[in-house]
Amino acid sequence: MGEAEEPVPESGAVFTFGKSKFAENIPSKFWFKNDKPLYMSCGDEHTAIVTGNGKLYMFGSNNWGQLGLGTKNTINKPTCVKALKPEKVKLAACGRNHTLVYTERGHVYAAGGNSEGQLGLGDTEERSTFHLIRFFTNQYKIKQLAAGSYTSAALTEDGQLFVWGDNSEGQIGLAGETSVCVPWQVDVGKPVSWVSCGYYHSALVTRDGELYTFGEPENGKLGLLPEQLKNNRVPQPVPGILERVNKVACGGGHTVALTETDVYTFGLGQYGQLGHGTFIFETSVPKAVEHLKRHKICNIACGENHTAVIADNGLMFTFGDGRHGKLGLGEENFTNQFIPTLCSNFLKFAVYLVACGGCHMLVFATPRPKGSEEIHED
Amino acid sequence: LESSSDAQTTDSDEIVVGTSLGSPPKVDVERIHIEIVSLSLHPEAEAMASEHIQQLYVEYHFPGVPLTETPLSLRKPQGGEEIYFHFSKVIQLDPEGVSSQREILFSMLQAEEAGLQFVVVSEPLPGTGGECEDVGFAYIDLREILLTGNDVLEHDLDVVSPQDRSAIGRLKVSVEAAAALCAIYWEGRRKAEEEE
Ligand SMILES: [Mg+2]
Ligand SMILES: [Mg+2]
Repeated sequence: MGEAEEPVPESGAVFTFGKSKFAENIPSKFWFKNDKPLYMSCGDEHTAIVTGNGKLYMFGSNNWGQLGLGTKNTINKPTCVKALKPEKVKLAACGRNHTLVYTERGHVYAAGGNSEGQLGLGDTEERSTFHLIRFFTNQYKIKQLAAGSYTSAALTEDGQLFVWGDNSEGQIGLAGETSVCVPWQVDVGKPVSWVSCGYYHSALVTRDGELYTFGEPENGKLGLLPEQLKNNRVPQPVPGILERVNKVACGGGHTVALTETDVYTFGLGQYGQLGHGTFIFETSVPKAVEHLKRHKICNIACGENHTAVIADNGLMFTFGDGRHGKLGLGEENFTNQFIPTLCSNFLKFAVYLVACGGCHMLVFATPRPKGSEEIHED
Repeated sequence: LESSSDAQTTDSDEIVVGTSLGSPPKVDVERIHIEIVSLSLHPEAEAMASEHIQQLYVEYHFPGVPLTETPLSLRKPQGGEEIYFHFSKVIQLDPEGVSSQREILFSMLQAEEAGLQFVVVSEPLPGTGGECEDVGFAYIDLREILLTGNDVLEHDLDVVSPQDRSAIGRLKVSVEAAAALCAIYWEGRRKAEEEE
């Protein structure tokens, strides 16, 4: 109060929205001295940030030890996981109550809730520090980690997909198993290039651009035909998207797929998270989001009930459940958004990263250089 | 460069928290928080069958504040379906002292009932030439919030028909107002006694 606002440095800042646990859940921002975020992930109530210097910062709820800091206290400020400092961290993924980490040495670690074996450690005991998953040796070069409610996935550079954790709904695609507490391979007969774990369903994209879904079949979130739904426990190709799919993101009850030209959504949209307007609250048929057609979208993220997309010009759009301000569209008055809504906070920024959790969202953005052309929406 | 100074480098040194010009969190006695959460209609309600009712919004009039409407109309709920607005608004009350807003609220709280009225409104589809039409009313008793001292969280209110007062649906709302209403009530009582 009274103080002048400190300008965001050229290297950018991380902006927090909703119930992030940071800054008393008031929309806020922070940045790193001599470092910057490379990768961010949100769990239900916690957050992981991997920086360019290979450090892992964690904050948020910690009831299961999911921050990996050796305690179960809620942490309200990004805190470096010192135990991982000797090896550079490259990737992190936050599930509902657990966290996965991949380091430059080729190690995969896990911490947090483990009721369904989601830590991949061969048992179901929770851990409040990061433990090595012995299955992964440095012969596996990991390209992507993903984590859902009680599920985990690791995708290798050469397109092999490994999964572990809860399979009660078939959400890790292992047909007959109820849950597995060590990594298992899921094979769809061709290399995999992307994976996402939602709350009770998952999706993968193959290198040839085909989208597969599996897990809880309700509300159209698998995007499958009625006759496919009985095989929901194994990955099945989603019909209805004729273009190549590049990325997919799964939320609580919805799925978002990104192609070269369009963003397709399907599943539950009662809060607007599908972005199809105020008349479509559910669909099992993948449908391109009309309001994004004229934008070139390059990144997508799903929280439990909200969606965020980044355009290649650095603008960001959000839609879905507006509670707690997690859409980044206001200070204290909020509402659900049923079509993609421009986040005007970032008109003078270029947005690089976005991560969505249960009730929060994090955005990494850098100021547009002074004198550069200001972006105008319409 | 800084690797040798690890011992002195605390985590807070590595992070800069941006200061914000955003207003500091106001105390509860100065603000009221109202959320229109969701709406459902009873399957047998007339509005369910009516073809010219296609989309609905909700409005309310809080004393001293212009008419407040949900920013969007949503498709009429089907069957027992709930439609979700999650429209939440913080009302900054006039400060203590001379204020018609506080006087109106005080006189409401002294009456038998202090109903804040919500109106469910049908908005015609674009191009159909119809007019907005009140479909139902719901009330929340501010006096009850004052007397119990409890905020109302995700509370289901009956929506009644403007014609015959029959229940046609449910409106879920949250009203966080106990502390502010209490402050207004005791301020009013004190003033009344001083004037005697
Ligand atoms: Mg497009
Ligand atoms: Mg609220």
